[in-house]
Amino acid sequence: MNLLDAIDERIIDLKLTVTSKEEAIRALSVKLNEAGYVEDIEEFIKDIYLRESEGVTGIGNYIAIPHGKSDSVTQVGIAIGRLEDEIEWETLDGNGVKLIFLFAVSNDHDYAINHMRLLAQIAGKLGNDEIVEALLQVNTVEQLKEIFKG
Amino acid sequence: MNIVVVAACTSGIAHTYIAKEKLIRAAESLGHTIHVETQGTIGTEDELSMEQIKLADVAIFAIDIAITGTERFKGKKVITVPTNVCVKSPKQLIQKIEEELNK
Repeated sequence: MNLLDAIDERIIDLKLTVTSKEEAIRALSVKLNEAGYVEDIEEFIKDIYLRESEGVTGIGNYIAIPHGKSDSVTQVGIAIGRLEDEIEWETLDGNGVKLIFLFAVSNDHDYAINHMRLLAQIAGKLGNDEIVEALLQVNTVEQLKEIFKG
Repeated sequence: MNIVVVAACTSGIAHTYIAKEKLIRAAESLGHTIHVETQGTIGTEDELSMEQIKLADVAIFAIDIAITGTERFKGKKVITVPTNVCVKSPKQLIQKIEEELNK
């Protein structure tokens, strides 16, 4: 299985037009629902906020990694949203957020273990400042794939 | 320094792996040797060998939850920090540990 298998165009919006964290999470959750990753949007969002309450998901460098570990997840995946202007978010460096990676994960740990591994690999890439710098500049899904391929 | 790390975050999905990458890059840029074990939802990966632990000058537990296998570090200098510290300022963390060890 390849890292690019986890990049699904249907759940990526590189021109997200939202002005708050709440709107961003909802917009990406709707995409996950429409693409068949998430059954119940409200339950999924509730589980995202449960995780939010346990600790900061803004990792600095304008990146946020909210995650919903939820029974409403029917397919493991990662929705990606990019914003022109930063929105407010609780972050480690006090800056706002321009790029959101919303992880949709099942509560059943053995489920889709290969996809979970890909998600872990993508998370690892977000620990690389040069990759993050490049990700902040992408305009197309193709460019995004190139970065994750490298 | 020889550094060994165990990383584990609350949900075991993302922070664990970001912290791992950040620590590896920071340690290597400062000329240290580092091995990082992750304990996440996908289980334990890159499990530390007894040899790696034996050779380590310091162990870092980058953890937000309880981990397994702590008995392996008996007698080792262990520094425990939340994953966030490793994500936010990995270099500073390692430099501080180095200063501490050189005291």
